[in-house]
Amino acid sequence: MKQSNRIGSRLFIGLTFLFLYLPIFLLIIFSFNAGDSSAVWKGFSLNWYVSLFQNSLIMESLYTTLLVSLLATAIATVAGTFAAIGLYSLGRRKRDALLVVNDIPMMNADIVTGVSLCLFFVAFFQGWGAFANWFNGVQSVVTLPDKLHLGFTTMLLAHVAFNIPYVILNVAPKLRQMDKNLVDAAQDLGCTWMQAFWKVILPEIKPGIVSGALIAFTMSIDDFVISYFTAGSSTSTLAMRIYSMTKKRITPEVNAVSTLLFLSVLVLLVLNNVREIRQERRAASQEIREPSFFEKLSMRFNQPSFKWVRRGVTAAMACAFVVVVVLLTGATSSQPVVNVCSWGEYIDEDLITQFEEETGIRVNYQTAESNEALYSLLKSGGADYDVIVPSDYMISQLIEEDMLEELDYSQIPNFELIDQRFRNLPYDPENKYTVPYTWGTLGLIYNANMVDGELDSWGALYGDEYAGSVLLINNSRDALGAALIHLGYSVNTTNEAEIREAFGLISDASRRGVFQGKVMDQVFQKMEGGNAAIASYYAGDYLSMLENQADGVDLRYVIPEEGANWFVDAMCVLKDAPHYDAAMAWINFIASTDANLANMDYIWYASPNAEALEQYPAYYEELYGEELDPELYEIMAAPADVLERCEMYTVLPRATRALYNDLWIQLGT
Amino acid sequence: MRNKRAWFAFPYVIWMALFVVIPIVIMAVYAFTAADPVTNASYATMANFTGMGIYLSVFLRSFWLAVVATLVCLLIGYPVSYWMAKEGPRFQRVAMALIMLPMWMNFLLRTYSWMSILENNGLLNQLFRAMGLLNLLGVEYIQMIGTSGAVVLGMVYNYLPFMILPIYSVIVKLDGSLIEAARDLGANSATVFRKVIFPLSLPGILSGVTMVFVPSVSTFAISNLLGGGNQMMLGDLIELQFLGGAYNPHLGAAISMVMMVIVVVCMVVMNHFGEGEEQAVIM
Repeated sequence: MKQSNRIGSRLFIGLTFLFLYLPIFLLIIFSFNAGDSSAVWKGFSLNWYVSLFQNSLIMESLYTTLLVSLLATAIATVAGTFAAIGLYSLGRRKRDALLVVNDIPMMNADIVTGVSLCLFFVAFFQGWGAFANWFNGVQSVVTLPDKLHLGFTTMLLAHVAFNIPYVILNVAPKLRQMDKNLVDAAQDLGCTWMQAFWKVILPEIKPGIVSGALIAFTMSIDDFVISYFTAGSSTSTLAMRIYSMTKKRITPEVNAVSTLLFLSVLVLLVLNNVREIRQERRAASQEIREPSFFEKLSMRFNQPSFKWVRRGVTAAMACAFVVVVVLLTGATSSQPVVNVCSWGEYIDEDLITQFEEETGIRVNYQTAESNEALYSLLKSGGADYDVIVPSDYMISQLIEEDMLEELDYSQIPNFELIDQRFRNLPYDPENKYTVPYTWGTLGLIYNANMVDGELDSWGALYGDEYAGSVLLINNSRDALGAALIHLGYSVNTTNEAEIREAFGLISDASRRGVFQGKVMDQVFQKMEGGNAAIASYYAGDYLSMLENQADGVDLRYVIPEEGANWFVDAMCVLKDAPHYDAAMAWINFIASTDANLANMDYIWYASPNAEALEQYPAYYEELYGEELDPELYEIMAAPADVLERCEMYTVLPRATRALYNDLWIQLGT
Repeated sequence: MRNKRAWFAFPYVIWMALFVVIPIVIMAVYAFTAADPVTNASYATMANFTGMGIYLSVFLRSFWLAVVATLVCLLIGYPVSYWMAKEGPRFQRVAMALIMLPMWMNFLLRTYSWMSILENNGLLNQLFRAMGLLNLLGVEYIQMIGTSGAVVLGMVYNYLPFMILPIYSVIVKLDGSLIEAARDLGANSATVFRKVIFPLSLPGILSGVTMVFVPSVSTFAISNLLGGGNQMMLGDLIELQFLGGAYNPHLGAAISMVMMVIVVVCMVVMNHFGEGEEQAVIM
């Protein structure tokens, strides 16, 4: 009876572990996959481990993660220990009141902590800006920076803030257990206060400090939400990097880095376990044996006569730590940089390397999910970008809100290569702020093997026929735009009834479960893998999907008969960009014909550069030894008669934008 | 002399004021103001709260899914902790290590891994297809991703260790003589469990429930990845207004405030059942 019980319970525990570890094993297995899918096995290879160490984005974020966790743990452990000692010397009532405040960050949901800290930092930056302006005005000896941004420092402060309570939580019980008279006794016997602290208090509460530090470190490493809200745009931890990757295509390099992390922790745990088991055995058998070399060494080390050696070593280690931190932060900041924010899968990454080699300017390349998300990021003070690549209507909005800086076209000679068609467009009538990056259409992408016949209407997105395998584009302008076109209205209508009708079309479909999800860059993995049948997305991205489509998937692209949207994405520079000249150099480099050809070939979006657009078919033929399918070229660079059926977005009045926002958050509620 | 040490608390009081109290005050200020759509000037208003009714379904869904996830975690976590505590020390140590280990692997990655399992053309559906199950049912695939079930699965998967650890740490420290005494007094196993073990493990359950419920109710990454944006939760709603596609920090702050208050009330009510028992400390 007892035996069978045990089998049953072990089976249950085993199954739970299987549940916990199954996805992890899959991650590990697919880090050795020769292909780049995480669902289709294509043979064993170590390629992803090799490319991991060449992927500067991932390595950098890994380094940021470790640095912020270590620093936050160190600071929080010291500060938390002292705070706990202080709290426990206060009267009971005061202490209890303070402990309630101390509990707040632990009780609060991460997102609330993150949001409140984000708002706090932004408010502080505004106050600081005003102060710095005043201060720089009244004296000229020191110039204070008047624009601060979210970044590594704010993230570190946030981590320290949520770590300290965990340290206190762990140190407090040890303080409570400690005999309060011990310190008094030590001092009566002639100890100074410091001596009493080092010799009496510290040894007593050491286990609490150690476990507090461990928990703080684990929390820091595992944190995503708080970092996400407080790190701004230019810093990202591994978790943030992964989150932005899950929105497009996760490369198995991430699997590789996690496998390595997992294995190193596993090794540490096993070693620790082995050590504990040995210790236990030794304790059990009371075995007396010759101490090993290291044990002798440590015994020597602990003798009082070695006090100065001990302190020296500690001081040297602390210095070394500080030096390493300073060096590492210095190494990254001394080089000139340009912060660029673009969209996912929207550049040939070799261009970044090429630019860095040519100019010595480091490119800090980030991506945002959509125009609206970019706008939020800029507004919430989280971004210190120099160059951004928004679309037409968002450019007008940014100009209207005085958020863009005029460009210095004398530093951008390549602007002359831009086709006349793409200059002085309505969003920037005098062409003072922008250099076009790409242009294209928004159409319907479908998997011919999953739908019957050919689609040629936006209606396919809202009908029940393909319920569960339709993807809705996850930004209000494009989603509502398609619905407006389907209903025969202008995409730029300001008529509330029309907009509400279009929204009704989408929200009804959503309620009936037509949409599998709202996606932006995730569309690649969903459509390529045959996980969804229909999506509305951009022509250029359709062509990249075509390259990567899995067996049994037959993707098509169509501009529906009702018409569609055509857009221009252009490079702009933000007001008060910290690296203006580097930004000009970057824009000029990207506007060149060579860069445009490389980009066109890589991202499949049409170039606004007249030479590149014309030369591309020949370039393709030379590169691949075969002719470019004219049909594909027409999808990429829509001919005039197609463009005529398409409408460009213009900026909407504020009230209409507010309506878009309100409606959009109601979707899915 | 004691007062001298009390000064240690002083910097921390300032720190808490700066990084705990003031941020929440600022959030409250945001929540009770709004930006004028034309002039962009902010003015005081209650509109953020009064207009929140349309998000009721999001509130309900968040709390409902979080409650389900917490219950599932409890149903799995309690027996695991209980049986683990009955095993030998070696087994316990290894098991503890195995439970902690996944926490060191980023939760987003683990969640993403579930995505590749649950997709319409993912590993599970491929398996079903190979087994002929899909043909049997006459469907192309079984819809798993984008459903509320997938979101609950993601929560249970990610937060189960937070349920097991506190319960286990309480049960393993239970005084064995109490159980013996109960048996000596004639209680059978079920009664011992019901009258002795379970009440004594209540603090562990309470802190486990807290540690699972709070992150579940506020998650946005899990619902985003596994719910595909269809299963909008409070976290998604808040994220959308700060860093997502519908910038409105005032409403976002108001929703955060309401969520915070509801969660705190839940916790207070629940801890009332614990009657001031010491919270179990994990690890």
